[in-house]
Formats: sequence, C-alpha cells, structure tokens
Amino acid sequence: MGEDGTDRYEKIDFLGEGQFATVYKAKDKKTNKIVAVKKIKLGSRTEAADGINRTALREIKLLQELSHKHIIGLLDVFGHKSNVSLVFDFMETDLEVVIRDSSLIMTAPHIKSYVLQTLLGLEYLHAHWVLHRDMKPNNLLINEGGVLKIGDFGLARFFGSPSRPYSHQVVTRWYRCPELLFGARAYGEGVDIWAVGCIIAELLIRAPFLPGESDLDQINRIFQVLGTPTEAEWPDMKCLPDFIVFKEFPRQSLKDIFTAASDDLLEVLNSMLSLNPSKRCTATQALQMSYFSNKPAPTLSHLLPFPKSNKIIDKEKEAKMPSLKRKQESSDSVSLKKRLVF
Amino acid sequence: MEEQGCPRCKTTKYRNPSLKLLVNVCGHSLCESCVELLFVKGSGLCPECGTSLRRSTFRLQIFEDASVEKEIDIRKRVLRDFNKKEEDFPSLQEYNDYLEMIETIVFNLTNHQDVEATKKMIDQYKKENKDQIKKNLSKLSKDEEFLETLIEQEQHETTIRKMILLEEEKKEKAAKRKSKEALIDALMYQDRPAHDIISSHKELAQHEELEAKRATTAFSTGIKIGHRSDIVPLNKQETAQLYRYCPLVIEWCGPEPPTVDELYTDGYLRNIRTISDAERAGGFREALACHRALQDAFSGLYSFPNVSAPSPAKRKSFPQTAAHSPMITS
Repeated sequence: MGEDGTDRYEKIDFLGEGQFATVYKAKDKKTNKIVAVKKIKLGSRTEAADGINRTALREIKLLQELSHKHIIGLLDVFGHKSNVSLVFDFMETDLEVVIRDSSLIMTAPHIKSYVLQTLLGLEYLHAHWVLHRDMKPNNLLINEGGVLKIGDFGLARFFGSPSRPYSHQVVTRWYRCPELLFGARAYGEGVDIWAVGCIIAELLIRAPFLPGESDLDQINRIFQVLGTPTEAEWPDMKCLPDFIVFKEFPRQSLKDIFTAASDDLLEVLNSMLSLNPSKRCTATQALQMSYFSNKPAPTLSHLLPFPKSNKIIDKEKEAKMPSLKRKQESSDSVSLKKRLVF
Repeated sequence: MEEQGCPRCKTTKYRNPSLKLLVNVCGHSLCESCVELLFVKGSGLCPECGTSLRRSTFRLQIFEDASVEKEIDIRKRVLRDFNKKEEDFPSLQEYNDYLEMIETIVFNLTNHQDVEATKKMIDQYKKENKDQIKKNLSKLSKDEEFLETLIEQEQHETTIRKMILLEEEKKEKAAKRKSKEALIDALMYQDRPAHDIISSHKELAQHEELEAKRATTAFSTGIKIGHRSDIVPLNKQETAQLYRYCPLVIEWCGPEPPTVDELYTDGYLRNIRTISDAERAGGFREALACHRALQDAFSGLYSFPNVSAPSPAKRKSFPQTAAHSPMITS
C-alpha cells in the first residue's frame, strides 16, 4: 500500500493514546478526507526487536478481509522505517460518550437504532468467522452522520477451528461472559452476544450494568442478578477449567431492573444474557426477534443524539478555571498573613 | 495438535508445563535439562545429527517447527554478509535478482542442497565485495541508531507524563496540609466557638473534595458524569422505516454449503469428533467447526482468476482460510 504514507497524511490533531498506539486526526491530501491515523508504538527495546506489534498485526490481518457499513474501515497501512501506522475512517465519538453524556436524552427508538447497528455489524463479523472479543461501548464508534461502526480489532480472531485453544483472558471485565470467567478455552459467538446484552442494559440504565471489581466479583455480580445457574440450566458447567461453586442466588426478574424496557426488548435481553452460552441467541437470531420489527421504528442515523464536540467543552472548562484559581490564591494570601503574626 | 516435547528425554509440555525447548544452529530442539546434561563441558555433539555445538549458542525455541529456527539462524548469518541495500543497485530488476540469490542460498543451506557450491559462492561474494560489506555494516548501525532515538523519544514522553502526575500529587498533598494548618490557625485566633469553626471547615473540605472528584470523573473525552446544565433538545421524529430482517448475503464464490440445520439432520456431524464437555459448556459446537470447514472447502471453487482479475471488493468477501485443521475425518 501507500509507501508515501508520511507525505500523504497531514497531522491535524492529537486524539488519544492507548497502551499500544497513539491516534492522530489527519487529513488525507490525496482525497481531502479526514482520517484517523493510528501509529503503533515501538515499546521497549526487546519488543521493538520482535518486530511488528501483535495487536496491530491482528487488526491489519482481519480488517483487510472485512468491509461493511457497521465495521470500521481500514483505509491504508503504511510503514516508515520501523514504525507502522494504520489509517482508519475518522470517527467523531463513541457510544460510551453518548451513554455518559447526561445532557443527551435517549429514547426507545434511539436505543433500538444503536442496538440494530451493532448487531448488523456483528452478524457480518460472525458470518466471516471473526470473533471481536472486546465488545464494549468504548469500541462502538460513531461518526458525524450517527452511523455506528465496530472498532478496535486488537483482540479479534478467527473462530471455529476445533483444535486451537483460545485465551479466556479477553473482553473487558464488565462485559465478560460467565464461560470466560470460568476459564473456557473453546467458545463461540456467545462471548460477543453477552457483551451486547450488557451494552443494551447499559443503554437502558445509562450506567455500567455489571461493574465487577475483580474477576471473582464479576461472577458474583452476574449470579446475584441472573441467579446462580443450576445443573439443568447449564449442564457440563462443572467441566470448565476454573469452575467454582457459588452461593445460590435467586434469579431476579429483568422486568424489575429495567422498568422502562418494553417486553419485546426484555425478550432480547433475556436471550442474550443467558448464563448457558448454548442458549444465547446468535446475532442473526436476535435480528429476527420481534423487537426490531415492532414499533417504534429505529431512529435514522443522522437524527441520533450527538454529544457536543470536545472542543466546546474544553473551552467551557477554561472559562470556569480562572474563578477557581482566584479563590485558591486568595486563601493562600490569608494564610500567609496569619503566619506573619506568628 | 501434536504435543511439543523434547526428542531426547520425551518430556512433553503436558507433563512439565515449565518445559523450555532450546534450539541450536542445526535446528534440532532439546529441552533445558538435556542441554545442561549433555553440554556440561561447554560443547558437544547434537544427539540427532552429530553437529558439534557450543552450549552458549543455544537459545529459546520460538517456533513450534524447529527447522524454522534453523532457517532463521542461517538467514541471520547470510544476511550479515549480504547486506546490500536497494540504493546500491542501479535498477529494481537487479535488486530483485540479488534478493532471489539470497533466498536460494538460504534455501540450499537449510535443505542441504549443493552445500559446497553454495559455500564457495558465499566466499567468492565475500572476497569480491569486501569493502562494500564493511561500509554497509556501518550503515546498518545508522538504521539502528534511528530506532534507538525513536525509543528514547517514547521513553522521554512517558517520564514527562509521570512527572506531571507526581507534580499533581504533590500539589494535592500541599493543599491538604495547607487546609489543616488553616484550621489550626482559625482555632487559635478566631473568637467563634470551636465546633462552629470545625464544621465550617469540614464543609469547605467536602466542597473541595467534590470539586476534585468531579475533575477525576470526567471521561477521557472530557465529558463529566454529573454534567447536565444544558439538555440537548430532542430531534423531532422523522417517519422512520420499520426494520425488516433481510438475510446477510455473502459472495463465497462457490457452491452453497449445507446449512447448520442440515448438518444435524443429514448426519454430517456423525463424521466429526465429538466435543468434550468443557468445550460444550463454553458454548462451542461441533456444527460450528463443521460448518466452517465445509464453507472453507467450498468457497472460491467458482473463482477463475484467468477470466478476469477479481475486483478488490470481491476479494474482500473471501474468508481467510487460515491454517486450521478441519475436523472431518473419512
């Protein structure tokens, strides 16, 4: 691909930094499009000697094969010396920002639209035998037009091969399903579907649904809400590598937790949050449930609530800052005077 | 998957999870304890092929296939001498020929083909290009230097970030100390009753803490949790279309594989290893593997590259048939 990468993209702004990469907003001089450039960090000397970073390799390998409206587009990859950069569609914000921004009102059609877009992307991924393995609001990116795209394929991998054990240390803890917490080494689409269930719950209550503080606490919270599974509900559960017997909790009705949710939505949630992964619906099955075809219709993408851009908020912050500073200064001078009396 | 193990003492990864396989230039692996036993004197013969090896050149085996390790070793050695760059050649064609030559040499050495002739070739090349090899060696270090500076830059950035954090912590501590001193001063010099002063001080401290908390609960994007001064007005609902499910159409470029349901009804799954209880409990199904294997086998069968080059969009829809062992047995 483009060898002239460093010349082709003009850095505009610094967007953020993760463990493995720094992300810049940039302009593609060839097409005049705004893009996001993810520059992979070299890391320590030993890591640099090992060659290209593994997560970056995963992203490149998988995203090259995929092209879908609701999946982030990898536009270009270029290297300069030993640096590798990935060029993505530029995404204005993500679902976490939308959920946390309490100035935005979220109605039932909005929620339906977000969930629908997520599942359409996920159905495509699973049909191509790709597990995302890190579904969370933070990785559901939203562009200017309100179109939601699944991003961050650093943990994704192909699935369906029987002889390769997978790691169970995937998925951000709050969205991790019970079979992963019990250390399953072979699993299926269920891991992504559970996470989507948690995301729907989060859209409803506008706060993380199961914010566990440790892996153990996470299972505990899950069982407190959904009840401890019985042998009949989830046979063979005891065969999982890290299985432990838990206190018997009764199952709570989801209707009591999500009082505002309609019955057809609760049906989707109930299916996605099945403790037994074999009973969880697939993305395709979920899309065929009555919730999505029932009224109200999902909001059109460009009408979805959109958070104020960060810059405006930054300015507001700046405006508020001086008054605070002055207060501190005045209190400083008072204490100084006092000390003179000493 | 075949269990990795030491060919000499037959210990496997399963029996000894901390088993470390080492490999030397000949490309035969040995476990750590065998190396220790055989090479007490510092050098000895490889038990597989009899090549004399030094203990210090044993290194950790990274790839499952030890012959890959051998090739890496040979390649490293060859590339030390064959270190010309693209700039050293007048045309791309010649550079490609040169690369081709290196590959042939590496292949010959790893697979024991015309070893003598190849070695002669290397020696001749070395003699002819003595000066250039030396010159390029120093050039190589320039590239490494560049890498070093990059890494240093990154490390510098992290230290700066750490310093800023430390600074903030210091400030916070100082503020706390100051407020404590202020309280004591107030208690000493003000005429108000003591509990009054304490309670008002507590209020102030709480207020400040709240301020601080609000700052930390702001998300990376700068939006605060409890920030609801201005509610964005709702967009008026446009008459949106109700959603109808339409099945995903993927161009596999091959005959339609049986559906998942047919796998069950038509007995495909009888030819497949039954999965273990743990796999079933984890949500893995025989049908998954079977379906993928069939799809991989069928996809691309209708693709004739000579008719017309596949468009990039079409190529994208192929599944990647990455190395995976199909489960189907005859």
